[in-house]
Formats: sequence, C-alpha cells, structure tokens
Amino acid sequence: MSESGVAPEPDVEAETERDEESFTGRSVRRFEDRRILTGQAEYVHDKAPEGCLEMALVRSVHAHANIVGVDTSAAEAHPDCELVLTVEDLKDEYNPQPCGLHGFQEWSLADGKARFVGEPIAVVVAENRYLAEDVADLVDVEYETLDPVVDGMEAREDEVLVHADYGSNVADNERLTFGDPEGAFEDADHVVEGEYYWGRVSGVPLETAGAVAQYDDEEDAFYVDCNIQLHTLVDDTVFETLGYPPEKVHIDVPPDVGGSFGTKIAIHRYVNLAAMASQQLGGTPVKFVEDRIENLQGGDVHSSERQYEMRLALDDDGTFRGLDVWFVDDFGAFPHYPVNQVLKPLSVLTNAYDVDDVAYEYDLVLTNKTAQTAYRGFGVDPHHYALEMIVDEAARELGMDPTDLRRRNLIDPDQMPYKLPSHNIYDSGDYPAALQRIEEMIDENERCEGGLLDPEVVEQKRQEGKYRGTQPAVLIEPGVSGSDWTDRQRSDREALDDRPRDDVAELPEHFRVELEEDGTVRTWLATDSSGQGHQTLVSQLVADELGVLPSGVEVDYLDSVDAPTEYGSAASRMAVMLSGATVGACDGLVDGLTDLAAAHWGVEAGDVAYRDGAVERVDTGETLSLAELAELDDGTGEEAKTRATYDYPHPATLEEDFDEALRSKYPVYPTAAYGANAPIVEVEVNTGEVDILKFYTVRDCGTMLNPMIVEGQAHGGIAQGIGAALLEEFGYDQDSGQPQAITMFDYLLPSIENVPEIEMDHTVTPSPFTETGAKGVGEGGMIDAPASVASSINRALDPLDVTADRLPFTPDRVRERVRGADEE
Amino acid sequence: MSTDNTAQSGELPTREVTVTVNGEEVTREVEPRLKLSDFLRRECGCRGVRVGCEHGVCGACTVLMDGEGVKSCLTYAVQAEGREVESVEGLSEDGLHPIQESFHEEHALQCGFCTSGFVMATKELLDEDPDPGREDIEHGLADNICRCTGYQNIYEAVERAADKMDGEGDGDKMDGKGDGDKMDGKGDGEVGEGD
Repeated sequence: MSESGVAPEPDVEAETERDEESFTGRSVRRFEDRRILTGQAEYVHDKAPEGCLEMALVRSVHAHANIVGVDTSAAEAHPDCELVLTVEDLKDEYNPQPCGLHGFQEWSLADGKARFVGEPIAVVVAENRYLAEDVADLVDVEYETLDPVVDGMEAREDEVLVHADYGSNVADNERLTFGDPEGAFEDADHVVEGEYYWGRVSGVPLETAGAVAQYDDEEDAFYVDCNIQLHTLVDDTVFETLGYPPEKVHIDVPPDVGGSFGTKIAIHRYVNLAAMASQQLGGTPVKFVEDRIENLQGGDVHSSERQYEMRLALDDDGTFRGLDVWFVDDFGAFPHYPVNQVLKPLSVLTNAYDVDDVAYEYDLVLTNKTAQTAYRGFGVDPHHYALEMIVDEAARELGMDPTDLRRRNLIDPDQMPYKLPSHNIYDSGDYPAALQRIEEMIDENERCEGGLLDPEVVEQKRQEGKYRGTQPAVLIEPGVSGSDWTDRQRSDREALDDRPRDDVAELPEHFRVELEEDGTVRTWLATDSSGQGHQTLVSQLVADELGVLPSGVEVDYLDSVDAPTEYGSAASRMAVMLSGATVGACDGLVDGLTDLAAAHWGVEAGDVAYRDGAVERVDTGETLSLAELAELDDGTGEEAKTRATYDYPHPATLEEDFDEALRSKYPVYPTAAYGANAPIVEVEVNTGEVDILKFYTVRDCGTMLNPMIVEGQAHGGIAQGIGAALLEEFGYDQDSGQPQAITMFDYLLPSIENVPEIEMDHTVTPSPFTETGAKGVGEGGMIDAPASVASSINRALDPLDVTADRLPFTPDRVRERVRGADEE
Repeated sequence: MSTDNTAQSGELPTREVTVTVNGEEVTREVEPRLKLSDFLRRECGCRGVRVGCEHGVCGACTVLMDGEGVKSCLTYAVQAEGREVESVEGLSEDGLHPIQESFHEEHALQCGFCTSGFVMATKELLDEDPDPGREDIEHGLADNICRCTGYQNIYEAVERAADKMDGEGDGDKMDGKGDGDKMDGKGDGEVGEGD
C-alpha cells in the first residue's frame, strides 16, 4: 500500500516551462519569499496609517486582587494623553467578550477584580508608544490583594475561587467511556499506572499580536488590520463585543503574519480595545503592538498545562486490553475558545494501538494565570506523551522490550480504515512498516560500529556519566478537523446521542477564482496564513487545474466581511481543504470559459474543449487564450463566465462511516498522517543536561503537494517538540502567582544549538478520503516529538530507573530524579 | 515596548543624530531614548528590521553597524551617531543578494519574521569566514531564533550562500544569474497583497 520515496530537493522554480508533469507534488519554491527577504513584506506591525495613534495598556501586577479604584486623573492631565479607558467606559457602550464556555463574563478590561498578572485594567492612547507608556505610568490602580490559586490540582478543591459567581474552578468536566473499560481492567492480567505532567507551553511566534483599528463614522463600521488567526471564524469575539453586526466589522489579516501556531486565535482582547479606542476618538486610527513581556506574561496565549493519571490494562503476553485516561488541564483565568483542546485527543485516543475499551475523563480548571489559547497539536501532544509514557511503564513492569510491546499492539494495515472506539477513523496507514523502517534506519546507521549507539561507545559513555538511548515509536497526527464538533462543550451533551445526522452543520472551504483582463488568474482564499506557504500551494494547484504556470496565478485574501464564516487555517486542514476547493472552483471556471467560447463561435458546449490555458474549437482547431476569453466576457453576458466560487464540503461529510462521530459531536479528523521517530538522546547525569544527538524520523502524510513545504513543516514542528520536551515552560510562583517566564531569557525557545540534525525519510500512503490523497500535516513534529524525546530519555536512563515523568525535563528535574534513584 | 515611534516628543529633550544607513546619510532630531530599531523602521524606511522581543534574545532586529552585528533593539539611535548601519534593505539594489537567494532556494524561511535578522547575521558570519563548517554556522547564528524552520534549511542556505559567494567577494550584487530574480514571475514582490 505504501511506497517509499525520499522528498526531492527543492529544484522547481515557478516559472519553469510547463511539461507533462504536474506542479502539484513538486517542490515549487515559494512566491512569498522575495518580499520577505527584501524587507518589503508588510506585517501588521508595519501598518501605520496617516495620523495613527498608539495604545498602551495598564496591567495588573497581582495574580488575584480586588480592584478598589482606578485613578486616571493624573494620566488624563498629561499633555500627551489622547484617551484613557477603564472598564466603566466599556460598560457604557460595549459587551463582554464571548467566552469558550457558558456562565462566564469577561470584559476586555478587568472588571472589579484582577485574575492574573498582566490582565489589562486600562487603555491609554497617545501619539506614539513611548508617550503612551509615559502616560500609562500615571494611572494609579489601588488593589486589595487576594490569595491566588496557582496549581491545577489544588484549584479543583475550590478553596480559592477564580470566579466566585460560577462557584467552582472546574469550568467543565466530562467522563466518556467507550466499549467496556471496567470489564477490561477487571479481566486483564496486569494494570499499570503512572502520573505525568506536561508543563505550560505555547507557540511563541516571533511576531507578537498587533492591530490597527479605525472606526468609520459615516458608515458606522470598523476596519481592523490585525494578525488574528481564523479571522473568518472567531470574528464573533470582536463584533459581538463591539455590539455590531458582522458586516460592520471588517477584519483583515495581511498576507504575511509572523507565525501563529494557533496562538493568535485568541488575541481578540487587543482587537476589541483598539477598535473601541478608535471609536471613542471619533475615528482616529489606533494601533496596538503587544510587546514581548506582555505577550509572555498576560497575552492570553499560553497553552496546555496538564497533570495526567494514566492506567493501562494488559495481558501477560503484552496485549493491551484497556486504557484509562484522566487529566486536569489548567486553562488559566478564563475558558477561552480553545476549550475543546481537551477533547481533540479523542481523535487519536489510542494513538497507533489497537485498544477497544477506553475511559477518558478531564477536568478543565481555572486558576490565576493568563488564559489558554490553541497551540500546534491542540492538546494531542500531551496526550501522546502520557500514553507513550504509560506504555514504557508497562514494558518495565512486565520486563518486556518496549519496542516489541509497541509492535505487538499496533493497528494492522488490514484494519484500515480503522474506526477508533471514540468514533473517529484513521483513513490509511501501515504502522508496523513505519516502525520497521525506523528500526532499520537506526540499526544501519547507529547501532553499529562507529554509530552513536555502537554498544561499545554506549558503554564507554556511560562510564563518563553520559547515558545514551533511543526509543522508536509510531505517532498519529489527526488532520483536517471538522467544525461542528468544536462546540460540544456548549451543547446539551446528553441530547447528542439522539441528534439527527441532518443537524450536523459542517463549514465548507470557500474559494474564488477569476480571470483578469490580461489573462492572469486571480484567486481568493477565505482563510489567513502565517507562514505556511498557502500562496505557493494554491498557485501550484490552480496551475495544474487550468494548465497554466504557477507564476500566472495571483493569490489574495478575503476579509471577514467578504468571506463567509468558515474554519480556516488550523487543525492541519489547508493542504486537504485547499486542494478540494481549488479543484471545484477551477472546474466551475472551466465550465464558464467553455460556455463563453462556444457562444462566441456559435457552437455547442460539447464542440469546444479547455486545455492548457485556452479553449479550443474541436472542428477547426481555433483557440481562445485566457486573455481573449477575459475580453469576451467584458460586460457582455448577464452573468460573468470568467469567475467561479466553490465551497468544498468537509471530506468527513462525504463518508458515511463518520456519521456516528459527526452526530454525537466527537472530534472528527478524516486524515491520519503518522510518523515513526527515533531521537538519539544523551543524558549527562552529573549536570542533568539532555542532548539530542540526532533525530531520525519516517513520516507519511499521503500525497505531498509540495514536499519542500512538507519537510519544512516537519522540521519546525520537531524543533517545537524538542522545546516542549526539554526547554520551554511558563512557570509560576506557587505562592504569589507571579509568572516566572516573562522574557525570552526565561522562556527558552530552541536555538540552532538545541536542534540536532534531523534525518527524515518519507513513505506515501494516499488518503482515500481526500481529493488529492493528501493528509493534514501542519502540526506533526510538535504532536509527536515530545513523546519520542521523553521515551528515548526513559530508554537512556533505564539502568538508573529514572523516567521523564515531567516535561520539560530540565536539568534540575533530571538531577532531582537521578539523586533520588542513587539514594534508593 | 515594541512599537514604532516617531521622534516627536513634545518637551522631552532631543539630540541630533547622523547615521549612514545603507549608504545614505540620515540626520534627525531624536529623543535619546529612541531605539535604533524604531529609528530605522520609522525614520529610515527600513521596515524589514523586525522587532521580536526588545530584550536582545531573538535577533530579528539584527543589523550591521560598521560591519558588526548588533541588536538594534538594544541600541539607541544616538549610539549610532557617525556610524554606518546596514540592514536587509541595503543588501542588493536589484535582484537578490546570494544570501537572500540561498534562503529562498533552500526554503530557509517560513513566516519570515526572523529572516532579516538571520540574513544579516549570515552576512556577518560569511564576511568573517567565507567557508564556515557546521559548527561555525551553529555558533555564528546562535544569537538568532527561528520558530518555524527548525534550522535545518538555514544550515543549507548558509552553505549554499558561501558557495555562491566564493571568489565573488562579499557584498557584491548578484547579476540575477540563475533564476533568483524571477522567482515570483512578476517582479514586483507584491504577490497576493490583499485588498
């Protein structure tokens, strides 16, 4: 089923002469690059309309405090002050921000109580940011401090309430059982248990949040340039807050966004405040650019922090019988939109293993920390980590080889498409082959004389206190999320079991294509981008559909008003959704063009044919080029034949087997990309330092639309995964609730020195569920690398009986555990 | 603070500063607290100078001052008095510099926010060592953070640039040989500018 092939070198420039081959599937270099490399790209930080003022925020210095008073008089008296806003000003005209769960009220500025360090309390506007900060310093906030609740497990006890009116810090909980987990745990020969902690991490893109908002008095409408992610989906967090209908709030995201990784989905607070400030100033544009400390400390952009309790039931021969997953996820002060991060793991509940009987339960808790947003992987990364850790634990307790134990339980290719107990379906894949291939790579290159895992070298290094090891494993990346399930937590969950299939409302992918006068093909995406190369990808796909060169295809973006509500760039969706959407739209355009040509020649549509950027009259061989066709359509017909719009239906809606998951709002991810990793780690037990010497990986995302981009995504994801496993964490002082990582000196992003050489191989198992056979691929690496690094550390430290049971596995944690092991 | 800033400041003290930016002399009256990064972005039109952290860790704002890499967010404009500053805008008058070309060819950028800084750090590295090994590249670029590429293709790009520049001397403009100057087939670098 799968064929092995290495991604070709990037060797295709877009203006290459067309040959028989398609552009899709080749490493076409990116159109986005030139403007970026020459400094001409216009990120939102670069936007500076005439007369634009700048905004600064006064933020809480306490984790938990009553706000007794906000004295703005000194600030307002400053000669450079243009505007000061507090929550009282907001309440006069605006609404609270929509939350991810019912029962919470969140204003864009703190209302009577500060719930995390960095929570905005007042807005100040001045001519520039330097002056705005001068003025902000004069705002005097009087606090009455309260004890904070900082630990997720402690929060469950409700001794300190983050939201007193809600009455509990547990904002959401659900226990789901699939099959008969209770029976499986009773029958099995062994039950192993483990506790694992996933540190608070996030995407931390190099570009912080930014917004330039302008209120138009005449239209009574807002125009906002900003780098929010999913601007056609989460625009409700802005227009509802402003109290305007969606068509009055134009949210436009520039073609260049300096990374997001999910995080910028939740920057609506800034967009709202800038828009309100502009309106209060009568329409003067107001710009806000978050600084890095604001971003790390109180930017609403942290992500998962989970404490897991895992149980695995298995028989003497190693066969997995049942799985029991329980965890607490610390969402911080408000449950923002990505609350469904706690549910996404259901889409890969048992990872690559065949287990029928599973229990899954979470407590979504609130604490005095900045709120969570989405981050690449959307909660699957900690799930895979905890699951692989309990598998390692089982191998230890049963005295089995951990690779053999994994192999024994892998889903067999004959079982594909494989329906998980939680109702999502893996479309295709050969997991045993992937494990086999990664084992071969390690055997051939490293477990041999002169290799990094040459047994003699391993032994010699161990004498020096350096423990080496690797643990191959197969990990699944769920792709192409559906949209309907994402509000499960705001639904009546008991009623879902009886929900009719017709009630399922999936968002399609919207796409437009139009012929310009000179024959250029102009297209519009209804989503935003943040570095993925969508313009290049769409150019390739459209070029193939229309038989033109990618350089003849322009790719633009629609703002939130022009675009319909749709999901957008998240959840490893775009490779699949854009390939379906471009095919549909181009088919529509070709129909229009052939009609146009047939009418011109006065023949039937069947007498003409579209080929390679022209319509040909079959009997005479005459042709009309795209430019000529564009001219023909110039205002003549009652309906334009040179443009087409298409809404590509979500692929899961086309497969009946997904109906059960769709009806009941269980996570629906119709593609399952996968990878087998084997990072080679070396742990220096005297210093606690973990070094990854080399990272082997075999990956399969079905058809690779642009192998160069696919590899780039995997490289970046793996680097982020290494960061989460070893370096990155938003720590908090457990007494005061003060954040401990508010600069990049504290929140450590992997540098070129931390990321090893990545040796990557590919197999190609096309998805049967998608237009091109592609599978979602944007989150791999981050989803799979942390689990693999942790498992490999377990393998390396096996002689000391130390495991990476807490990520990031920092030197102090390594030393603590090694010391503990020495004492036993 | 991370925003752009005009140098007008009411009654705050100002000082005149003259800096040669990409070969052109720029004289402005600025507040002493104005950062070089903001000076370059606002006063000199060098918006390719990116500001990612403002505390000297990420390196996105890296420019060359008298040939040496500095983080312009940790430098005040007044400290650049009388100095020559080179940013990504000054690398090539037309077409792409071999370093820019190599970053494109090796897919060494994704979101691009770190790219100006990496390109300038690479320029400094290759000016000092025209043929760096992997470890030299690692040390030379350790002050810059990229969150997208995992650095794999950045190594490749630096090596490719070193090959291209070999024998040409550094800082020369490319003649557009190969296909770097036509990569988007439009020549205006404004693909997909939204409406």
